[in-house]
Amino acid sequence: MNIKKLLFVTKFDDLSFDALQSLLVLRKASLNHVVFVNVIEREKVSMHRGLGYQKIEEIRLRETANIRFIDWAETLFEQGMEVGVYIVVGNMVRQVFDAARKEEADLIVVGRSRKRFIDQLYSGSDVTEVLRQASIPVLVYKPMPDKIEVLDRPFERILLATDWSPASLRAEAYLRPLNGIVEQVHVVHVAQEKDLKGDNSMTVQKVRKAAREKLEEICDRFAGVGIDARAHVYVGDPIKEIERAAKDCQATLIVLGSSAKQEWVERFLGSVPQNIAEKSDYPTLIVPPPKPS
Amino acid sequence: MGKKVLVVDDDPDVRLFSVTVLEEHGYTPLEATDGEQGLAIVKSEQPDLVILDVLMPKESGVRLFRHIKTDPKLQKIPVIILSGITQKSFLRSQKALTEFGGAAVPEPEAYLEKPVEPEELATAIRNLLH
Repeated sequence: MNIKKLLFVTKFDDLSFDALQSLLVLRKASLNHVVFVNVIEREKVSMHRGLGYQKIEEIRLRETANIRFIDWAETLFEQGMEVGVYIVVGNMVRQVFDAARKEEADLIVVGRSRKRFIDQLYSGSDVTEVLRQASIPVLVYKPMPDKIEVLDRPFERILLATDWSPASLRAEAYLRPLNGIVEQVHVVHVAQEKDLKGDNSMTVQKVRKAAREKLEEICDRFAGVGIDARAHVYVGDPIKEIERAAKDCQATLIVLGSSAKQEWVERFLGSVPQNIAEKSDYPTLIVPPPKPS
Repeated sequence: MGKKVLVVDDDPDVRLFSVTVLEEHGYTPLEATDGEQGLAIVKSEQPDLVILDVLMPKESGVRLFRHIKTDPKLQKIPVIILSGITQKSFLRSQKALTEFGGAAVPEPEAYLEKPVEPEELATAIRNLLH
């Protein structure tokens, strides 16, 4: 799948222009159109006792966003990119999907700033809903651990977490056309401890070896398109181990496929991709299930 | 009926401003909210003039301008760019697109940076339509 059009959803404190600039490497993978989206939360301008609808505040917020987008757009236009903009009042999730549908975007980029835990509890919910409902890939952008600035090249060293499910295969397929942008992929499988129970060490080693061989097949497919790939097996809780693997590999981005679980299951239990996207210190790209035909 | 002028802008306040200026000076305004809709109206209505914003959803004024100026049936329609994007950036964007393999396009007939005074817009329209 080509990434031609990217939806860049920003509240400005979570996702700034340097993050977008680092994604312009995707021009090598046919990116030629960036659409800026700024959603003004309704409660910031809604009716207040004695004040009514705060039209003046809405105009101020719109124009503040517009001034920033004009500045960003000039830079992109001058590079021959196509640029669009949506500054809208309303529900963040609904407006993002509305813009994505109108624009037929190939990728949604959302930000998650490094915030205090209590702040994350609130701001995280929009990102959660975007991840849950998205029918196109979503990149959750974050400042790298121990760094304030964003990465120069987020697609440089990717950690692809796989369980060989159709969702994982889709994530793998999504990355292969990005040869020329991606330098190295670390393909990681996290085995669960219950899978390693055996009456001797050989049984346990067999599990590791089988996983390793399957990972090597994925590495070979990446090598076939010129991407250097390494296989790794980890054991334990997938969320913790993927984070650990990302650190070990010095990953610049974690990529996972998400499956179409029943919504109520995800709502109560969460999913590994969603948990990683929300909690990991690393930028995360979630490749969603295909749209039902 | 006055000459037809198409206003392409996603900002309803700017559309209202432009339409008011046009009606006060006896022109017939047409409206579009993005470049895609704008192109459809340019093709169907063949307006006498287009007033075009640059930064819009779906298709920007940069691309719509190129569509108009590279289509033999449309290229004679004069275009006033009315935008917050500077003229220098707009011209650089056209140069970049030409360098990427697109056709060379002329400069717009007039370029006004937002915000403009009603008389400034009216004068630019008058200069192109009379």
